[in-house]
Amino acid sequence: MRVSSTQYHATMNTALQNANARLETILQKLASGRKYLLPSENPIASIRMSRLSREEATLDQYRENISVLSDRLTRNERYLDGMSADMLGARDLMVWAADGSSTSADVNAMASSLQPLMDSLFYSANIQDAEGRYEFSGSATATRTVTFDAAAPIGSRYTYTGNTDKQLVVVGNGVTQPANVTLDEMAALLNQLDSVRDVLTVPTVNVNDAAVRAVVKATIEGIDVALESVSSKIATLGGAQNILTTLENNHANVSLSNKQAALILGQLDYAEAAVKVNGYTTAVQATQKAYGAVSKLSLFDVL
Amino acid sequence: MSIIYNALSGALAAQAALATTSQNVANVMTPGYTRQGVLLSAVQPMHAGKLSSGSGVSVDALIRFSDEYKSMQMWRAATELGARNAAQPYLTQLEQVMGDDGSGINSGLDAFFSALNAASVDPTSSPLRQQVITAAEALAQRFNSLNQVMSNQRAAVAQQRLATVDQVNSVSAEIAKLNQQIANSRGAGINPSALIDARDRKIDELSGLVDVQVVSQADGTRSISLRGGQPLVLGARAAKMTAVYNPDGSQTLTVDFASESFTLIGNRLGGQLGGLDWYESDVLVPMLDSVSGMAEQLATNVNNQLAAGFAPDGTPGLPLFDFDSTGVTGILKLRPGVVSSELAFSSNAATPGNSDNLMQLIALRTQPVTLPALGAVSLADAATQLVGTLGTQSQQNQSSLDTAETVRNQAEESWKATSGVNTDEEAVNLMQYQQLYQANLKVVAVANALFDSTLAMIG
Repeated sequence: MRVSSTQYHATMNTALQNANARLETILQKLASGRKYLLPSENPIASIRMSRLSREEATLDQYRENISVLSDRLTRNERYLDGMSADMLGARDLMVWAADGSSTSADVNAMASSLQPLMDSLFYSANIQDAEGRYEFSGSATATRTVTFDAAAPIGSRYTYTGNTDKQLVVVGNGVTQPANVTLDEMAALLNQLDSVRDVLTVPTVNVNDAAVRAVVKATIEGIDVALESVSSKIATLGGAQNILTTLENNHANVSLSNKQAALILGQLDYAEAAVKVNGYTTAVQATQKAYGAVSKLSLFDVL
Repeated sequence: MSIIYNALSGALAAQAALATTSQNVANVMTPGYTRQGVLLSAVQPMHAGKLSSGSGVSVDALIRFSDEYKSMQMWRAATELGARNAAQPYLTQLEQVMGDDGSGINSGLDAFFSALNAASVDPTSSPLRQQVITAAEALAQRFNSLNQVMSNQRAAVAQQRLATVDQVNSVSAEIAKLNQQIANSRGAGINPSALIDARDRKIDELSGLVDVQVVSQADGTRSISLRGGQPLVLGARAAKMTAVYNPDGSQTLTVDFASESFTLIGNRLGGQLGGLDWYESDVLVPMLDSVSGMAEQLATNVNNQLAAGFAPDGTPGLPLFDFDSTGVTGILKLRPGVVSSELAFSSNAATPGNSDNLMQLIALRTQPVTLPALGAVSLADAATQLVGTLGTQSQQNQSSLDTAETVRNQAEESWKATSGVNTDEEAVNLMQYQQLYQANLKVVAVANALFDSTLAMIG
């Protein structure tokens, strides 16, 4: 084929421009560590990487929620532990009161010891968080958990004013975990304790009196029911912690495999890139040398 | 005597050939220059007689080494290259903006739904609720900036189209003028080669702007029409193309030739104009509609869900987003005056800590939205799929661009193979014609010596 003199220059220009464009791309990739700079280099991989990022963002939030929820459950557990201790104290007093040898004065003293325990239980049931929300009121977080009405007859002065709704926290795709404990049994217990305190406060109280014994016995039974209920709630909280730990592990594993997949999809293979840089550089040098040699050839030089 | 005349004709032919060669060498680097040569032929003897060899040599004409077919191929390649080149910068820019994982709509949606998820831990917590408002605002900003980038692109496409139309007009006018000059030169017997080169370069430029059909006429002029048959140049007359804005932001192109006016259909134009139309109608506008549709459906879905719930103080839910497809400062905004305590996460007016409505809000992430470019897709995946669609379109255009560049390079190479100057070849010509000239002058000297000896004999 006949070749015009400017063709060498044109070919050289095209070759150098192509080589420069390739080197520029590979240098950008080396600098950023990304296998693809634009989605168009591999649209399918870009979609897959984007979906992995979405899943990662969701998993991060689930794990964050698990961590916060776990703290909240631990806090609730501590409150419930304290209340259990108070209830055990009240039970001890009741067992002591049931002892037939106790004098009226002894029993009056027990009744006055009962008051601080009741106050403590009442206070604990109405615990509020830093933003003033009642922890144990179910979803009625703006309402006191247990309300005291001094005007009502003894035995019904305490009322549970919360509800038994669960506050659900999202801890996985379609998985929720209750974040709260409700203390609906606490009003019944406090009313029972209020009644027995009222009976035992009478100066002439006789623990061997059948009516008094009946009240004390009912109180012990009431405390036992409440204790069992609170204990089972503590156990539930422990179980919830286990579930959260399992979920957290699952999320961590999925996250790890996502990250590995994202690395395989999107991370530049530096060895391969370095080889390419060498290849392109050699190609440019070879083209330049050939051009230098060819452009020296001119018949005019020998005329 | 005939020896001297023969030698003289040979010397004159050599001079013409040397002049042509010098012109070729002078224009080695001139783009679009078509090399020329001399057409030599032997002259019949002027006198009767068996022993009359002939009456020298004549230069019949100068030849242009050109191949019409190769020029046409080069122009067709320019058209495809122009179309792909015009669209690619816009595609790459949009890809960079939409594909950036950190600043795209995707991460905005992630942050918004993360904030809602975080609020489920404590639905009435002010800081957690405030976080939802902040994330919603950032999300709206992302929609707005992407919308802004695409609106700017649309304005840029319109501007480029106006500039291209102006260029088409000025190049057409120049071609018409050159046509006239070529016809005149030929009439006056002047070599029009340089004018033809200049005109064909202009046709090459024009074919990059818009797809044209070129027909050569007997008088040496070329008539040019658009792919659809509308005339651009007819002999010495050129048409005028105009672009007019429509109310919907698009443009209509018309061609006026003499008293006739033709309306052009954008996507059939080819060249730079066709490329711009393809990008605008097949990529940009569907993408704009999709992003706008996504913002609108997000706003509607979130607002509707909020309306079904109650704020912590028991008041019914108020909207979070304001959507306005023609908004001057952006398509998506937060409702003015929205505060975190108004977010309706509870499904019951009496129980502020209830999070049932919040759960419904979180579930919106996987609810479908219907977009013009994709059909029904989940909200969480919509932006990813839009970027994927854009990536595929850009990839296709890039590979077509690569092909167009290769075809164009080959077409140029092929054109140069016929019409380009090769200096070595010219050096050989130079030597040969120099020798031709010297040999003929030697013949004159020999003839002279012959005359001298004849005269000496007589004397």
